[in-house]
Amino acid sequence: MNAPFYKYGLFNDEVSLIIAVFIGIGFGFFLERAGFGSARKLAAQFYFIDMTVLKVMFTAIVTAMIGLYYFSVLGFVDLSLVYLTPTYLLPQVVGGLLLGFGFVIGGYCPGTSCVAAASGKYDGWVYLAGLFAGIFVFGELFQLVEKFYVSSYLGTMTLPRFFGLSYGLVVFLVSMMAVGAFAAAEWGEKKMAVKKAEERS
Amino acid sequence: MKLSELLGKLSLNQKLTALLLVLAFLAIFMGDPYGKSRTAIETRELALIVQKEVDHISVEDLADWIIQGRADYRLIDLRSEEEYNTYHIPTAENVPLAELPNADLLRNEKIILYSEGGIHSAQGWFLLKAMRYRAVYMLLGGLDEWKHKILYPVIPTNLPPDEKDKYARMAEISRWFGGAPQTTEAPERAHTITNLPPPPPAAAAPSMPAKTPAKKKKEGC
Repeated sequence: MNAPFYKYGLFNDEVSLIIAVFIGIGFGFFLERAGFGSARKLAAQFYFIDMTVLKVMFTAIVTAMIGLYYFSVLGFVDLSLVYLTPTYLLPQVVGGLLLGFGFVIGGYCPGTSCVAAASGKYDGWVYLAGLFAGIFVFGELFQLVEKFYVSSYLGTMTLPRFFGLSYGLVVFLVSMMAVGAFAAAEWGEKKMAVKKAEERS
Repeated sequence: MKLSELLGKLSLNQKLTALLLVLAFLAIFMGDPYGKSRTAIETRELALIVQKEVDHISVEDLADWIIQGRADYRLIDLRSEEEYNTYHIPTAENVPLAELPNADLLRNEKIILYSEGGIHSAQGWFLLKAMRYRAVYMLLGGLDEWKHKILYPVIPTNLPPDEKDKYARMAEISRWFGGAPQTTEAPERAHTITNLPPPPPAAAAPSMPAKTPAKKKKEGC
């Protein structure tokens, strides 16, 4: 039995939707458990007081990366069948900045706003309403931005291909980056805690 | 003994980080994850696909997709370059059958093959399937079917009222692709082949608004 299961025809569209529901609930559950249902916790990231977001997200990235890499090297996963989002460099840079603005202003990202709404937080519901209003406005204005939306197309680009490095080396470098980021985050949190204590006294 | 003492001193986080470092370091020497794929043909699976007839796409569906401007497929024209330049279906790329194994196609793309009839596309389909391409489809009936059903459909003159819409739409699609609906079953179809519309530009972007909302892509987040 090989993964990706869906591509190997182990289940059809309908079953994949049911599975998606369960994975989605699991995703939301762990986001909530990490404390991401609270805008305060998420906003603390941008004041460098609490770096949980960075730690959780980067941990997820390296875990998935190491898992996928070793599974595919062992022949369990066929990576060439795993869907990659195509890269549209400029629109994605702008989109990322927009998401960042929204994150700082609203205190949630799209996923965590669902978690907040599900756990009964009013600001989460407001954020969700804004999210759908934004989707609607974007849909209506799509023709105006369509040219930009599909510009600077790089295909399904990956870091190893972009830099011309081997996959293993990129796995190593990204892991190093993660460990460095974890260390820096812990160090920063301690610094900020000391500073806060000084301000109080 | 010493190692276990050392491990005892580390917190869970530090142990996991150490594990990450070991795995990450080993990864440098483990090679390319894309290279280790099986190349065997799953004969039973292939036979099942053929039997279930889920391996083809009708010309009507393809026409709809082109009009909607869908971009989630690659349409491959397997004929010679000369034939391709005379006429090809909009959005098609030319990859002669002999060059198919070396073509720049990704295995997670939806690939639709067509040829004049159906034989070359079936052979190409098998070739790509053997190379473990997953989503390969044939255009049912090939270019012949495209000419007869999309470019030059036969529209009867005395239509029952409940079928008028259907035929009006067929005529509209035909004109959109530069064809001409025929009023009666022509005794000879030879003229349709010489009467082909000029080949559309390589990256023909359909300008007509979509008739039906484009289906959402199944993948991605």
